Amino acid sequence: MKAARFQALAAAMAALACSGQTWAASCCGGGSSTSLVLPKFSQAMIDVSVDYERYDGFWNSRGDWVADPPGADLKQYRLNLGYARRLAPRWQASVSLPYVWNQNQYTGFERNTHGVGDTKLSIWYEQFDKVACVWNVNRWEDLIPAIYWGGTLTVPTGTSPYDDVADNFDITGLGMYRLDANLLLDKTVYPWNATFSASYGTYLERPVNREYGNDVEPYDRQRGDRVNTLLSFGYTYFTDRMESLTATVGYAYLKERESTIDGVIDPTSGLRKQSLSATLAWATDDRDWVTKLTWSHAIDQDGWGRNFPTTDIISVGVSHVLR
Amino acid sequence: MLAAGLLLVGCGDLTDDLNPSDKDQRPAVTAGSSGYMPGQLAPDFALQTSVAGEFQLSDYLSGGSQASDAVVLYFTMWCPICLAHSDHMYNEVIPQFRGRGSVVYALVDYVSGSVAVARAAETANGYAGSEFVTLVDAGQAVMDQFNAAMGTVVVIAPDATIVINEDYRNGEALTESLDGLLP
Repeated sequence: MKAARFQALAAAMAALACSGQTWAASCCGGGSSTSLVLPKFSQAMIDVSVDYERYDGFWNSRGDWVADPPGADLKQYRLNLGYARRLAPRWQASVSLPYVWNQNQYTGFERNTHGVGDTKLSIWYEQFDKVACVWNVNRWEDLIPAIYWGGTLTVPTGTSPYDDVADNFDITGLGMYRLDANLLLDKTVYPWNATFSASYGTYLERPVNREYGNDVEPYDRQRGDRVNTLLSFGYTYFTDRMESLTATVGYAYLKERESTIDGVIDPTSGLRKQSLSATLAWATDDRDWVTKLTWSHAIDQDGWGRNFPTTDIISVGVSHVLR
Repeated sequence: MLAAGLLLVGCGDLTDDLNPSDKDQRPAVTAGSSGYMPGQLAPDFALQTSVAGEFQLSDYLSGGSQASDAVVLYFTMWCPICLAHSDHMYNEVIPQFRGRGSVVYALVDYVSGSVAVARAAETANGYAGSEFVTLVDAGQAVMDQFNAAMGTVVVIAPDATIVINEDYRNGEALTESLDGLLP
């Protein structure tokens, strides 16, 4: 009975540790969503979250931090809907779709727009059948982390600069397909947890014959390859009723290489961003409901990014696991 | 769920990105007509500059008091992409054409709304006293006139003909058009 209880708890903790992994997406137009990873022994999961992103300056092409123009107040809100489903004991798939609201206010201009963001379709393979979360390390095998291999296709369902838009304030997506290869390592030795995730993405080249509503001479554009990593550490407190509260801190690094235009590198493109995050997650005793609050903060100092907005993101979400 | 979501929001124009076209859809342009497209004549406009002067386009075209060989307009909202473009223009494009005629390089600020704020943004981004003149498009009339957006670059020949009007991209089109216009 005790072993079964521990097994259930371990599965639940794996859910808690793995379901909240996020990969941040672009600005200057485009939106973010959550890649869902289903806990072991569960069949499906629904995830709903709301993001509030506040822009606070940016890093220029030299990596120097620059304030937004005086009086600028730029925000984005996102409603993210996600669904994950188990396909086989080690295989699962998920879809996430954001809806994006842009609120841009300058001293001489205000524009509020909204629309669907880019959709993410993911498939994950779990390396091991057994749960890798342990209470004690008694042998070297106890240190083996849970390993997930994944692939994500970003589908450009959002509004991009290449759609029939009035200007950049309408943008909710990048307008490009992207294929990501994902790796997720997670190790829990209760009550501690460490997670490392990495993804490498390649955009597909696309023809462009329109920019911001104007027809232009057709050309081919391809954004540069993208690397995204996240390292996080967490601690879980259990109540007497076995509800849990997990606090996690993380460091994320995002880099995208320069785009090409008709095969020629665009020196004005490419980006880099480093950010820190803190998450609180509350789970019910059966771990079927998880409520999360995340604050992601980009450091507004020189050298912490390049060619990219500096933002704070607050996310509130809830996941429901279907057994 | 995806299909339902898309239906819910009534997103009917997805194919632009899902299945992008490489067709040239630019409409034919009547030479000598007034408009914003390449080949058309740019209508005259007047804007205040960030140092409270006045900029009248016709002054910098043939027959004007300060006639130049080309006028370059770049539409900025002082964003990362905007700055990447204008920095590239300043460091890579402008130096190539120093000594070849006279060119007016103008940053059109369409978000600041006032001379004072535009001046502050210009200064914060290191362009005060540079070869750029910053124009304050407070009502966005000029932005609308050129059907411009963030990152649009427009090159106007001395006879007011628009040579390019497109996203800056990597600055290649700007370089080519200036190379063709300048002595």
